[in-house]
Order: sequence, then structure tokens, then C-alpha cells
Amino acid sequence: MSDVPAPEIGDGRQADGTILRQDLSEAERQQQFEDQVLPHLDRLYSAALRYTRNAADAEDLVQETVAKAFRSFHQYRPGTNLKAWLYRVLHTTYISMYRKAQRRPQEDLQETLDDYSFYDEIARSGGPSAEREVLEALTADEVKQALADLPDTFREAVYLADVEGFPYKEIAEIMDTPVGTVMSRLHRGRKQLQKALSGYARARGLIDEEVDA
Amino acid sequence: MSAANSECGNQCQEALARLERYLDGELPNTSLEEVKEHLTACYPCTDRASFEEQLRAIVRRDCVESAPPTLVSRIREHLSGLQTEG
Repeated sequence: MSDVPAPEIGDGRQADGTILRQDLSEAERQQQFEDQVLPHLDRLYSAALRYTRNAADAEDLVQETVAKAFRSFHQYRPGTNLKAWLYRVLHTTYISMYRKAQRRPQEDLQETLDDYSFYDEIARSGGPSAEREVLEALTADEVKQALADLPDTFREAVYLADVEGFPYKEIAEIMDTPVGTVMSRLHRGRKQLQKALSGYARARGLIDEEVDA
Repeated sequence: MSAANSECGNQCQEALARLERYLDGELPNTSLEEVKEHLTACYPCTDRASFEEQLRAIVRRDCVESAPPTLVSRIREHLSGLQTEG
């Protein structure tokens, strides 16, 4: 990533009239950046808050991400997915600012929950609520906490898939990891999320206490 | 996926094994059609699928925030600062 501003060449147009980014004046480049990137701030902050799990760090992360994106905006290819590109910048910034300093549970130490199913647990428990009622009764704070408690890489994969709706391939590019790893993180992350939510549901008496098959 | 539904057998197992990729929109066409077809015919699997779908919708709904206005204006200021420097 370079801080060197792109040179201005000619009137900034190709023969067919399209404007080349590197030919834009600094002011035009900046305007273009603001027009295209700032509408994504809410989503970037949302993601940053889930990644870092506190508001102060999330603000720092977004600010640094936007600064980095601005410096490397010449590397973004117009017409490709800007949102995915921004999430990629967010990911690398997050890693460099936070992840190496963290002592979070690592994914290979996680309990294997491959066979776990929240749906089955509710059905089995014969508690007072139907499956769907249990989901509806969960609060936003419980859902956020369950996501927050996942290991970093699981949390990020689940966020990118379930909240942002990115396909596996794009998540793989954003997180710089093979598609197979994305699928396994998603699968295990979702299971763990369900397990945590079932704990909240149990604690509130939405499903019965005893049975644990 | 653990539990196949007791009402049916192999077909459910096969469909449930592909349910996650199905809901993620990641199944290739032939496989996708098979799962779809199974879900149209099998109530227990459909019920399970819609539970999983609803769960994702809840995560999506509950985990989205707005950027604080102070952050947005700080970023805007920072960007215009860059321009005057340049």
C-alpha cells in the first residue's frame, strides 16, 4: 500500500471517454472516494464492533480502515465489488491492530459440536415453547453476546456470511483463506452460536433444564 | 447434521447434509434441485430448514448498528484534511 498520489495525465480520459482513476485530480479522486466509500460506514462500523467487541476499538478500527482504503484506493479496480474490497481492508487492518495482541480461544481448541442442533434440543426438551417461539424470545443482547463469544475467525466468518451475505468465495478472499476453511469455520461457528443461544434459552426457562442427550 | 427426522430416512439425511450449503446459496444446480424437491415433499425437513433460516435472520437483524455521528464527522474531517495537505 502506497501513499504516493497518482499522477495526473492529460484530461484524464481514455479514447472511449472513460475516466481513468489514475488520471483524476486529487480533488476528484477524493470526491470519488467519499461518494463511494462513505455510504459503507455503517456496515463497516457494524462489522468492526462485532470483530473488536467494544465501541472505542471499533471506532479506531473503522477510522484506520478508511485511511488505509483511501491510501490504496488506486488499487481498487472499478467495476469489481467495492464492498468486498473494503471488508478485505477492514480484515487486514483488524489483524494488524488487534488480533496478534489477543489471547482469545483458538479455533483448534474448540469443543467439537458437529452433531449439535439447537432445533433438536428444543424439540427434545419438551419445554413450554415451540422452536420458533424460542428464537423469537431471544433478545438482541443475547444474540450479540453469543456471537461475541465465538473465537475470532469463527465470529468473522459467521458475520460475513449471515449478516453481510457474502458468498464463500468472497469470504475466502476477504479472510485470505481457502474456501474449505471458510466452510468449516462457518459450520463450527454456527453450531457454537446455537449452543450458546440454547444456554440463554435454558437460563430463561424457554426450554427445559434437565435433558442433555 | 445430526438427527435425521424419524419420519423418513436416507433422503432426509442427504438433504440435511446439504442444508447449510443450500441455505447459503452455495449448492450447484443439480444438487440444488434435489434439495428443493425434497423440501417441497418433506415437512419435517422444511420445518428444520425454516428454523435455520429464521436463526440467520435474527443474527442479521440483531448484529447491525449505525456508525456514531461523531465517527462519521471525524472521518470526513480527516479526509478533507488530506486534501488541503495535498
